[in-house]
Amino acid sequence: MKIFQVALGILAAIGGFVDIGDLVFNVAAGATFGYQLLWVVVIGVIGIIVYSEMCGRVAAVSGKAVFDTVRERVGFKTGLLALIAAQVVNLLTLTAEIGGVAICLQLLSGLPYRWLIVIAGVVLLVVVWVTAFEWIERIFGYGGLCLLVFAVAAVKLHPTWGAVGHGFVPHMETQSPLLYAFFAVGLLGAAMTPYEVYFYSSGGVEEQWGPKDLGLNKVNAMIGYALGGFLSFALMIVGGSLFLEEGIEPEFLGTIAMGAEVPLGQIGLLLALVGILFAVSGAAIDTLFSGAYNLAQFLGWEWGRYRHPRGAPRFTVTWLVLLVLALGVVMTGVDPVQLTEYAVIFSAVALPLTYIPILLVANDRTYMREYTNGRLANTLGLIYLVVILIIALTAIPLMIVTNVGQN
Amino acid sequence: LSETLDLGLHLMDHQLLDSEERRCGNVDDLALEGGPGEKLEVVAILSGPGAWRQRAGLVGRVAAWIGGGDVVRIPWAEVAGVAAHVKLRKRAQELGLGRGDDRLRPLIEKIPGADR
Repeated sequence: MKIFQVALGILAAIGGFVDIGDLVFNVAAGATFGYQLLWVVVIGVIGIIVYSEMCGRVAAVSGKAVFDTVRERVGFKTGLLALIAAQVVNLLTLTAEIGGVAICLQLLSGLPYRWLIVIAGVVLLVVVWVTAFEWIERIFGYGGLCLLVFAVAAVKLHPTWGAVGHGFVPHMETQSPLLYAFFAVGLLGAAMTPYEVYFYSSGGVEEQWGPKDLGLNKVNAMIGYALGGFLSFALMIVGGSLFLEEGIEPEFLGTIAMGAEVPLGQIGLLLALVGILFAVSGAAIDTLFSGAYNLAQFLGWEWGRYRHPRGAPRFTVTWLVLLVLALGVVMTGVDPVQLTEYAVIFSAVALPLTYIPILLVANDRTYMREYTNGRLANTLGLIYLVVILIIALTAIPLMIVTNVGQN
Repeated sequence: LSETLDLGLHLMDHQLLDSEERRCGNVDDLALEGGPGEKLEVVAILSGPGAWRQRAGLVGRVAAWIGGGDVVRIPWAEVAGVAAHVKLRKRAQELGLGRGDDRLRPLIEKIPGADR
């Protein structure tokens, strides 16, 4: 029974790993550089595992989620700046995910885009309002497993496996090293998006984890995210073996779904669209909640789906407002794929202020007792801190010189 | 000095929990007492947007203004314990905490399914 539940959790984590940022950056990186950047995905996935495990452990032992630790460790003033940065990036991401939901619905139904934005908003609202926390995660995680069709597509496209293997070894064969660097930063930013740790840590509190759940935390973070990383590989391989060969730039979500249609036909297209639909819907809810979690934690308000709307009114109003704001922005007709690129790059800038407080609190014996970071977690934590600082400093300059990856 | 550090690290900006484990604000500031040469003593916790004014210059004043500027003073005697969170002896309402949530609750309750 226990193993069964753990397996269900892992399945949800795999399906929930990929969001619109991963879809856009992995396929575009494949379409531009073939399999060369696969090694960057490995680095990104290990990074998200290290920090998710850490913040899940902090949540289980101390009951603190990310923005509790931000406020405690960097104080009100710097914390407020971190909060504003996080909320801006979060809203950008939420908007992009909702736009993605509407595009998938349009490709599946053929109805007008703006109608579908409203429908998407209403459906998300109702699902969040009536569904218990653990089921929200599961419904979308399991639906997102349809994305495994890209793994089948990757095999069916018969990539040169030697070249794929070579992609896991860091190397660079290109005339445009800056573009290469831009995609590397984008892939890392997409794999380590800050909202994932906001949501993961707050989710630990939502599910009322205690020290007895630390094993579950480890398994979820390690296996769930590692297998989720396989989906990223598959997406990049599809990008490299289909779009690069054909000289196609995947500028639309529909183009990405074609990556499954070409080798697998109609059923491939359908599974890809359903998978993308569930993955981006799940991510929309994650980002929606993350925005409300962050604000409530920073200000000390009651929060959490487990408290029910009645028990946490300000938290509830916050996510309702965020949903309406994001729907309003999508309604203006902005392109979700372009928005995603900006969201991922700006989130890379916000990463250090998210991860440094977690690392500090995970080392605080007062709350963490015998569960403080071990040597491995600290070594990896520090290495990734350096990685994060580098990408935070280079993200925007690279975005400018490469014209958001267009040159 | 070490005691001051502890206050900064393990008390300031921490979550307040009332006697029923309800989250009801943060430790936004502390009231200290003690003359020159005497031992400083924490006499109260201050919670609420008004306390941000002294903490972050212009940004703090703007944030306090947006938040309405209230400050609630919780006498130290009402603190039951300090661990990961600061636990209080009474319910939030009795201490004047969590009023923002209490004000919104009647509105949220009107929506069907607000308690599930």
